[in-house]
Amino acid sequence: MAAASSPSFGLLLFLLTSWLSSPGSAFVSDWHHITPSAPVEPHFTKCTSQDQATFSCWWSPGSFHNLSDPGALRVFYKKRIVDAPTENEWKECPEYFHSRRECFFDRNHTSIWTPYCLQLRSRDNVTYFNTDDCFSVENIVRPDPPVALNWTCLNVSPSGLTYDIMVTWEPPASADVRMGWMSIVYEVQYREKNSTTWETMEVQLQPETEQTIYGLHVDKVYEVHIRCRMKAFTKFGDFSESVFVQVSRSPNKDAFSLLTLVIVLGVVAAVILIMWVVVSQQHRLMVILLPPVPAPKIKGVDPELLKKGKLDELNFILSGGGLVGGPTYSPDFYQDEPWVEFIEVDVKDPDTGEKEDNQASDTERLLGGSQSSGHRDGCSTAFSFPDDGGDSERPYASNDPDEDGAVLTSTLLPGQPDDREASLYVDSEQIERPPAHSQSGVPQTWVTTDFYAQVSNVMPFGGVVLSPGQQLRTQEGGPASNEDAKKGKKDCEEEKKQKERQFQLLDLEPDGDSSTPPYCSMPDESCQPSEPRPNEAYQSPYVSPDSPQAQLFAPVADYTVVQELDSQRSVLLDPPPVQSAPLCLSQHPLKSLPAMPVGYVTPDLQGTFSP
Amino acid sequence: MTARQEALWAVLLWPCLLSTSFLLECTDQDQVIHPYCLSISQDKLLDRVMQHVELIFRVSEESCSLFEDIFVPFPLRLQRNQEAYACFTKAIPIPNSIGEVQQMSDKWLLHSVLMLVQSWIEPLVYLQTTLDHYDGAPEMLLNKTKWMSDKLISLEHGVVVLIKKMLNEGLLTTSFSDQGLFRYDMQTDMVESVMRDYILLSCFKKDSHKMAVFLKLLKCRHTDNANCA
Repeated sequence: MAAASSPSFGLLLFLLTSWLSSPGSAFVSDWHHITPSAPVEPHFTKCTSQDQATFSCWWSPGSFHNLSDPGALRVFYKKRIVDAPTENEWKECPEYFHSRRECFFDRNHTSIWTPYCLQLRSRDNVTYFNTDDCFSVENIVRPDPPVALNWTCLNVSPSGLTYDIMVTWEPPASADVRMGWMSIVYEVQYREKNSTTWETMEVQLQPETEQTIYGLHVDKVYEVHIRCRMKAFTKFGDFSESVFVQVSRSPNKDAFSLLTLVIVLGVVAAVILIMWVVVSQQHRLMVILLPPVPAPKIKGVDPELLKKGKLDELNFILSGGGLVGGPTYSPDFYQDEPWVEFIEVDVKDPDTGEKEDNQASDTERLLGGSQSSGHRDGCSTAFSFPDDGGDSERPYASNDPDEDGAVLTSTLLPGQPDDREASLYVDSEQIERPPAHSQSGVPQTWVTTDFYAQVSNVMPFGGVVLSPGQQLRTQEGGPASNEDAKKGKKDCEEEKKQKERQFQLLDLEPDGDSSTPPYCSMPDESCQPSEPRPNEAYQSPYVSPDSPQAQLFAPVADYTVVQELDSQRSVLLDPPPVQSAPLCLSQHPLKSLPAMPVGYVTPDLQGTFSP
Repeated sequence: MTARQEALWAVLLWPCLLSTSFLLECTDQDQVIHPYCLSISQDKLLDRVMQHVELIFRVSEESCSLFEDIFVPFPLRLQRNQEAYACFTKAIPIPNSIGEVQQMSDKWLLHSVLMLVQSWIEPLVYLQTTLDHYDGAPEMLLNKTKWMSDKLISLEHGVVVLIKKMLNEGLLTTSFSDQGLFRYDMQTDMVESVMRDYILLSCFKKDSHKMAVFLKLLKCRHTDNANCA
């Protein structure tokens, strides 16, 4: 095929035919090509059919005004059926409407699927004919507009601002849709009343005679109209009459929306108010919601010293070095924090009260009888037992266990072997007060004494049973009498639980004796009420410098027995005791030695210990 | 296997063949309606045939517009209505006016449809081959033409079965296309070839419209006879 030649051929033909075609051919197709300057001969302006059963054609005399009289021009048609000779002649229009210059073809004269050609003839047989004025009736069908256009409101949006409508109509009466002679599709157009552009919707879904329009605004007037065409053909009919759609805002909706508006504003105002309160009172709220965790604070001691790495200074201060006299060593560091509760280190008169007597004797026992007096004398400060310091103990009475633990751990300082300090760690459980620093002139024989030890019991023979911080946390009993405190036992289960939470000061021995409770392993044994011998009520290891077989009684996680101190001030620890036998009352407490950390061991110092 | 054994197998298996043929269920609309598929109801079959024709009509209209837009210049577009380009199916005696159509019997309607379908099978095949020769024929056009050709064949089957069901006639043995209405000669001239194909497509559109109208009338008669005039 000469593909290259086709465009040129087409162009040539186009030029030729465009020169030849007359303006009258415009009505059949939608394509115009008018030369207004040339004289316009009579031609057909329009041929349409409404029902595909009849059709009409209108003509115009053009610029030949002498032919404008009725009857001056006649219409002839011819059906282009080549093989039917009788049809191959020009016939005159079956029905004229001269007033309208219309030629009407009724049903009997209308054939579908058949090409028609029309021509105009004047009286003197001048023929005005254009070969392009041929058509088939189904191609010129323009259906009548649909009838009975109506709308119903489907729903209104929850906001009350938009709504949906359903538009319904019926096919035009002239189009025999029921019979199936014509298949019609519709097109709906709508717009706001004062707008100039129409929204168009082609009706696609079944049923074909209704269409939903979504999203119309309340209180606006809309205009809707519709037209139709034959399916698979392109010519639309005229538009129907417009219907106007309007939905007014319901007062119910007004009240409802007003209510919602008020509620929303109220909520917003409340939120703003709460935020303002929070911001303005944030400091106070912070205190209430997030109470500050008391860092180790010793009254009179610079908190800086309590930080890591300053053990020497602290020990020096606490041991009374450099200062003689009262507990207040330095200006108050915590004046601006009235809620700060201090660990108070008081100098107590050993003869103040029988409890103190008891305590004194206990102290003696703790320190070893012969040395008790020396201990007393040598001390610039000593332990003050809880009953003395009702004031001192009270601040801590309501501490939560965590705080106790923190305080407790902070008070465990590494011992200063040169200072020969021994710290007595009073069982918080017994005495209802936090452990206090003790400045005791630990006898030199106490090589292995440390700054703190938890005293869990005082034996009748004078020995002190120390436990590795088992009762640190428990303050639930509240302030109690000294005897009760000594004797009283907390709930074993609680203790055991708290044991888990203990700060692991020393984890020197990997041996897993952590399961060994400091008390009797038999829970019932340890949970018994106060023993006849309060001093024996506690199952705490008892530090005895003489006991070579110091065993690590406490769970390894908490304590390890410090056997001796190195020259380099490193603590030599014994292996933990492997015994899990209950250290009950019957046992000699001497058998079980506590793990007595000497002084205050910080976690980072643990590494320096050699077991 | 020997011939005797094969014959024996065939004899033993023929009831299965018979039963399977009767068990053929014509449920898929797109599948070729088997001539032996008799289990479908008449109404359903008529609906299906109608849908086939409507679909073919729509695709033919699309193909015609597509062809017109691509290959036919403006001035030549109206020539399809001229005498020289009359459709070849004008020879088939089918009434064209509404009055006459309304008076057609069911039998005449169905036979008219069948004749039209059969006469268009061959020209559509021809059209496919010529379209392949054009430069710049879009894929869509070729696909549509192929689709129409295939659908026409299945439509023929459906109409045959419909005739059998509705009219209780036997299967037609003579095909109308044997009468050779459609004559084509290889045109060397490009424009002529284009025009001829253009006319062919528009004629097919017209005839498929005719078939659609006939079947709709038939449907109307079978559902609501009183209002079908």
